[in-house]
Amino acid sequence: MSIDMSQFFQVFFEESAEHLAAMESLLLDLDLDSPDIEQLNAIFRAAHSIKGSAGTFGFTDLAETTHILENLLDRIRKHELQLRADMVDAFLEAGDVLRSMLEAHQGHGMVDLQTVEAMTSRLRQLSSDDSGAKVVSPVAAQVSVADPLPSAPGDAPVALPGDSILRVFDIQFVPTDVAASGVGVQNLLTELRSFGELEVLDSPASGTPGAGYWNIRLRTSQVPESFSDQIDFIAESGAWRISEEISSAEDGDEAFGFFQDSPGVPDELQGYGFFEPLPLAGPENLLAEEGDGFGFFAPLPALVGDASGDSDAYGFFEPISSPSSEPAQVVAAVSIEPEEGDGFGFFQLIAPSPSAVMNPLPVPVPVVDKLAPSAKPALSTMKSPSASAATSDSSIRVSVEKVDQLINLVGELVITQAMLLQTSALMQEHAPERLLNGLAQLERNTRDLQESVMAIRMMPISFVFSRFPRVVRDLSSKLGKQVELKTSGETTELDKNLIERIADPLTHLIRNSLDHGIELPEKRQAAGKRPSGTITLRAYHQGGNIVIEVGDDGAGLPRDKILQKARERGLPVSDQMSDQEVFNLIFEAGFSTAEQVTDVSGRGVGMDVVRRNIQSMGGRVEIDSMLGIGTRMTVRLPLTLAILDGMSVAVGDQIYILPLSYVIESLQPKTGDVKTLSNQARVVQVRGEYLPVVVLHEMFRLQSAWTDFTQGIMVVLDADGAKVALFVDALLGQHQVVIKSLEANYRKVPGVSGATIMGDGHVALILDVSAIAGMARTNMQKAG
Amino acid sequence: MEAMIQGGAVSGDNDLVASEYLTFTLGNEEYAIDILKVQEIRGYEPPTLIANAPPFIKGVINLRGIIVPIVDLRIKFNLGKIEYTPFTVVIILNIAGRVIGAVVDSVSDVLSLSSAQIRPAPDFSGSFDTKYILGLSSIDQRMLIVTDIERLMSSADMELIEAAAE
Repeated sequence: MSIDMSQFFQVFFEESAEHLAAMESLLLDLDLDSPDIEQLNAIFRAAHSIKGSAGTFGFTDLAETTHILENLLDRIRKHELQLRADMVDAFLEAGDVLRSMLEAHQGHGMVDLQTVEAMTSRLRQLSSDDSGAKVVSPVAAQVSVADPLPSAPGDAPVALPGDSILRVFDIQFVPTDVAASGVGVQNLLTELRSFGELEVLDSPASGTPGAGYWNIRLRTSQVPESFSDQIDFIAESGAWRISEEISSAEDGDEAFGFFQDSPGVPDELQGYGFFEPLPLAGPENLLAEEGDGFGFFAPLPALVGDASGDSDAYGFFEPISSPSSEPAQVVAAVSIEPEEGDGFGFFQLIAPSPSAVMNPLPVPVPVVDKLAPSAKPALSTMKSPSASAATSDSSIRVSVEKVDQLINLVGELVITQAMLLQTSALMQEHAPERLLNGLAQLERNTRDLQESVMAIRMMPISFVFSRFPRVVRDLSSKLGKQVELKTSGETTELDKNLIERIADPLTHLIRNSLDHGIELPEKRQAAGKRPSGTITLRAYHQGGNIVIEVGDDGAGLPRDKILQKARERGLPVSDQMSDQEVFNLIFEAGFSTAEQVTDVSGRGVGMDVVRRNIQSMGGRVEIDSMLGIGTRMTVRLPLTLAILDGMSVAVGDQIYILPLSYVIESLQPKTGDVKTLSNQARVVQVRGEYLPVVVLHEMFRLQSAWTDFTQGIMVVLDADGAKVALFVDALLGQHQVVIKSLEANYRKVPGVSGATIMGDGHVALILDVSAIAGMARTNMQKAG
Repeated sequence: MEAMIQGGAVSGDNDLVASEYLTFTLGNEEYAIDILKVQEIRGYEPPTLIANAPPFIKGVINLRGIIVPIVDLRIKFNLGKIEYTPFTVVIILNIAGRVIGAVVDSVSDVLSLSSAQIRPAPDFSGSFDTKYILGLSSIDQRMLIVTDIERLMSSADMELIEAAAE
């Protein structure tokens, strides 16, 4: 039974990325002097989960690196080591290394092996620093995760039963196809018999195609390490485990005595219950996972209640033995691990105090589906045994395509509904009242439906904000500044697409504030401010927009300096310009007032990119600043990318949509306002400014209704900082339009960014203002 | 050339296996295309113009929320009178994952043609490049031009697809 693991890779990547993110934010929150044990545990769990799943999926490099990280974390957690700032730094960097490894596995970029090596040795170094006598070298304890039974550290806190005592091991494995078809399994059984008494509890029916699931019991005086290699050789990678039947171990009680009783477990075994608060009904499969290759479920010691439900997913979840016949044995089965003591301590810690910090991951549906119904309850129980089983069940992971399809369909419904409404309006008083009422209700319902569907794509902006504490921390220490980051409105929701695209511009704005805004502590004190600066990150809704503010209490923008720089660069400026206009100059390409170029900023690239990115999302940036008080950058974005606020304009018999965010004003030119340059290019005078004119019907080769400019309308557009006047026949109205791709079935059309469907079902093209402005410029150059 | 045409027409099957073809007229000529490429047939409605597109690209229409480009094959091949009547038909094709509409004079019927009935076309020059013709077939005195519509529509000639493979 070979499983195609690759189908779960995506889930693994997503999960690991989330674990890494959780780890990072927890690390940043840590109080160095008195670290909260809960937080440490949560960090440890995150690392542990990554290690476990990486091992399961065969990403050994990931697993190995995480393991070292985990070792160090574990020692801190157990107060063997004192947490230091350099450790946190190392952890954060290790997180970055892991992330790059993850990305490499996903096919983006390469892993720099040297970096990985440097990181692992640094972590080892930290771990071995002032290490206690009984600490095992992490390297020794670390064997490939695919081999779940590395030699147990001799000083494992749990006293293992002596070799002389006969121990009973339950061994489950799924042989590889090769081994199953050949004599591999038989050889293994023969070999195991040489160790002691062997009993086959469960074996695949003979003649079963492919590999099957084996469950055997070995009574031996040997330690499991002596035969684990053989099993590993035969078994599908990682698809095996050895667990000791504790009830026969004489000192078992003592070893595991710190576990509270678990309801539902037979009385005489109460000492071995793993998870105190879990109301287990009847015999359960305890998949104690520590390092045994089932790490996929690492943070959730899966209590597989209905084992039969699993068999189709993973062979090794089949009942270890028939629950009815051997309940005691199953419950008591405890896997032997390299870090036995740790493992148990770990469970004990978690169970009674579910960490609220633990990232409430959406239940990974693809996996859970396979394991339903049993793994799911286990999952939720483990996450927060006390109350909120519902929370983890209440989110699902759905592919974006499905949601997009839903949004498209709803968009269709809205258009159909608008068409119906228009038709009924044409009927005027002839329309039956009941029809009109029905249509009115349909309109309400479709609007509600559209809003709810749009809400599916919405994500809280905390997904973006959460990365900034790290940015600020790293950068402020690099620049020698003291900066505090305050965020508010993290729950503000916006479209997933926007979330992805806003991250870079925001990072840039924050770096900018840090580098140029916040002054050095001495300078701040000299100015009578607190030595540590504050960067405020705020998000909120305003009308149909989301507003994100990046504010600092730094030096503010020096108006004179900007003007001076602008003059040096030959930009058309005057002292009469408003502050707003002056500040907007910093968005010009190549503009920088920084005296020296650092690797943080000052090259003058960036702010123009920021503005372009934000404009391409249909948003805009504004700057407010007061010298000596601070600066505030305000980014306004539409709630979603799928919908655009547009102005419809008519040219001949065609209708085009202009994105409203580019429109500054519109006016009807008077006779003489429009002049020509070398009799080719035209300019229009708008309040003393000469703007290049783009005549849309000429550019698109359409018949205009007008022969004279004074009959039509000039729409003044701001495209990437350059103003142009677009001549159209008439303004029709303002709409929210659903953006459709023209390229899906056709190709890119110059001057057109997309299409939309109007209320009457006709297609209208959305104009690409930047491209049109570019065309205007080339026309001017030709003329000039 | 012949070998290629044969190969295309037979598509690896033996002569007895028939495929179904949709036939339509452009002017006085009758064409046949693989029916599996046809998504639906609908009446002509004035499309939205696309700026600076070649004349045979009439524009785009809204097909249940999808923006679909409309090509007038009569303009492309200089066939028949270019007029749009209530009987003018648009064949919506599904080609290489794209949806494209083709304006034709009329749609006739659906025929089963085995590869034995499709003869290689003589190598003639003209507006309709022979590389898009799989062969000719005569049924009841009618001559059908069996067209490789996928190849035609995805060719660079049609300017429908960016960087069309040719």
